[in-house]
Amino acid sequence: MDLFLNLVASGLVIGSIYGIIAIAFAIIFKTTGVLNFAQGEVMMLVAYVSWSLGTELTLPFWALIIVSIGVAALIGVIIERLFIRPMIGQPVFAIVMVTIGLAVMLRSLIVILWGSDAEPFDAAIEGGLIEIGPVVLFSEQLFAIILFFFLSTAVFLFFRFTRIGIAMRATAMDETAALLMGVDVRRISAFAWAIAAIVSGLAGITFAIMFSRAPDLWFQGLRAFPATILGGLDSPLGSGFGGLIIGVIGDLSEGYIGQGLKEISGFVVIIIVLMVRPYGLFGEKELERV
Amino acid sequence: MRTHHFVETYEKHISLSDNAITWLWIGSLIVALAAFPFIASNYLIALATTVGIAAIGAIGLNILTGVTGLISLGQAGFLAAGCYTTALLIADYGWPPELALLAAGVVSAALSLVVGIPSLRLKGLYLAITTMAFSFIITHFLLYAEGVTHGPYGVRIKDLDFFGLDLTSPTQLYSLVLAVTIIATVAALNILRTRVGRAFTAIRDHDIAARVMGISLTKYKLSAFVISSFFVGIAGGLMAFQFRFINVDIFNLLLSVEALAMVIVGGLGSVAGAILGAVFIVLLPEATREAIDLLPTGVTTMLSTYIYEIRGLLTGLTIIIMLRIEPHGLIGLWRDVKRYWTHWPLSV
Repeated sequence: MDLFLNLVASGLVIGSIYGIIAIAFAIIFKTTGVLNFAQGEVMMLVAYVSWSLGTELTLPFWALIIVSIGVAALIGVIIERLFIRPMIGQPVFAIVMVTIGLAVMLRSLIVILWGSDAEPFDAAIEGGLIEIGPVVLFSEQLFAIILFFFLSTAVFLFFRFTRIGIAMRATAMDETAALLMGVDVRRISAFAWAIAAIVSGLAGITFAIMFSRAPDLWFQGLRAFPATILGGLDSPLGSGFGGLIIGVIGDLSEGYIGQGLKEISGFVVIIIVLMVRPYGLFGEKELERV
Repeated sequence: MRTHHFVETYEKHISLSDNAITWLWIGSLIVALAAFPFIASNYLIALATTVGIAAIGAIGLNILTGVTGLISLGQAGFLAAGCYTTALLIADYGWPPELALLAAGVVSAALSLVVGIPSLRLKGLYLAITTMAFSFIITHFLLYAEGVTHGPYGVRIKDLDFFGLDLTSPTQLYSLVLAVTIIATVAALNILRTRVGRAFTAIRDHDIAARVMGISLTKYKLSAFVISSFFVGIAGGLMAFQFRFINVDIFNLLLSVEALAMVIVGGLGSVAGAILGAVFIVLLPEATREAIDLLPTGVTTMLSTYIYEIRGLLTGLTIIIMLRIEPHGLIGLWRDVKRYWTHWPLSV
């Protein structure tokens, strides 16, 4: 039973990371209809920049986070402006291919700029080991879970109550109508990329603190795909929840079935999900039959 | 400008090209390619072999992604399946290489049925993710099913005798790859002109309309997967011949992306485009390496440390630039140039 609980707990921790990245996927998909294959790389870039800032400036943790948020927003807007904006009007396939190209490019660029060594990301999250009943967690692991719930709530409130959030939902629903109602549709896409960069960047920083700042960080982005598919590509909250499920399934299958399954179980799950319920658990069903 | 061009006989109608000059050019190209090993160094022959194998794979992917419109990010998986099938059958089961190569295509095609079934319900992005997931599962299986696949130790093939060709010699391997590439090209060109090929195009252009016209989506989407994966499997088998020591590490996501890049850079939906794209993507890192060597020594050492990253950087950049500037790919560029000159001086 203790093993089970510990596996669930560590699954929830990694699932929180997947969930946060999946929220970022869903934000971009919901507002622009593009699945951003470069999300993991954007996250990696933010984590790397933040690592450099942290080692160079020796800021307190909260200040580092605030600065990182600003950097992430900037990175998101720049990428959108340079690579995505010029592709407006092209088929979605072309835009998605651009994000794939962008992913490969960013990944290589980061290794060229920062080198291929893994470095520890030392940030002060005080607390050491935390025991909750039979479950033992590091404070940064607990931080990941708290961050997940904080970001889900923040994203939910953002889409529900802020002006920009409502404009984004309106654009997602009907671009022309939104345009006619005075929404600056072009800026919406930039906003979506900035917010996704912030959200995923925070996940990247947390992941780097838990393990290390390493050049395979981007792979977490791919691992989060199953989460967003499971939860529904157009549902940020559903995607986040999907992340938790995928995380827990991964750790449980690794613990009980076999070694290496952690990496693969998510992908097995999405193949099944896509065959049974392609729009995900919480996604909106598109009515198109052939 | 070509005028008075009438197609008067059935033979003319069904031939790939009824233009004698086109055939002349194709003939000279084949002769030139066949004569290539007599003048080139071993390094160039090996490079040309890689191009040939990539072209076969790209022709296969083009049938799936370019012609039928089903995006696949799982080419690495199909290649790995083909490559391991050939290598394992030769190394562990003593099959003759001829049969093992054929088996690579068959196994890959059979696996594609498994991936193809979800594709019946999925389109575009979802399919891309499914195929990607599938390729991760395959490489994971290859790595962990040690009893069958030697897992992390890889597979080694000692000697290869293919219908009297000694494939350990680069020249003879080149001849085999050239022959297979030509067969694959002709096969693909002909498949695309049959009912099956036209059905693929119809599905890409509008699947609902295709369904209404009486094209069974189930049948033809699965056929696209099977035909395409057969080509890719054969390419994988040839990779086993080329490397003679194979390991799961090379079948990573970058390989799938490069495969897709070949088809996009060359021009979606065109067999000639797929070949051009394969040539371009394979030669790109080589050309860069040559260019880097011209730079000062300090820069050269710095860059050669990151040669793998530079390859990725260039692949990514090429995809983005091609999509931005010339969505029809190299073959589109070629058509534009051709149109310009045939219509000259009336061209715009």
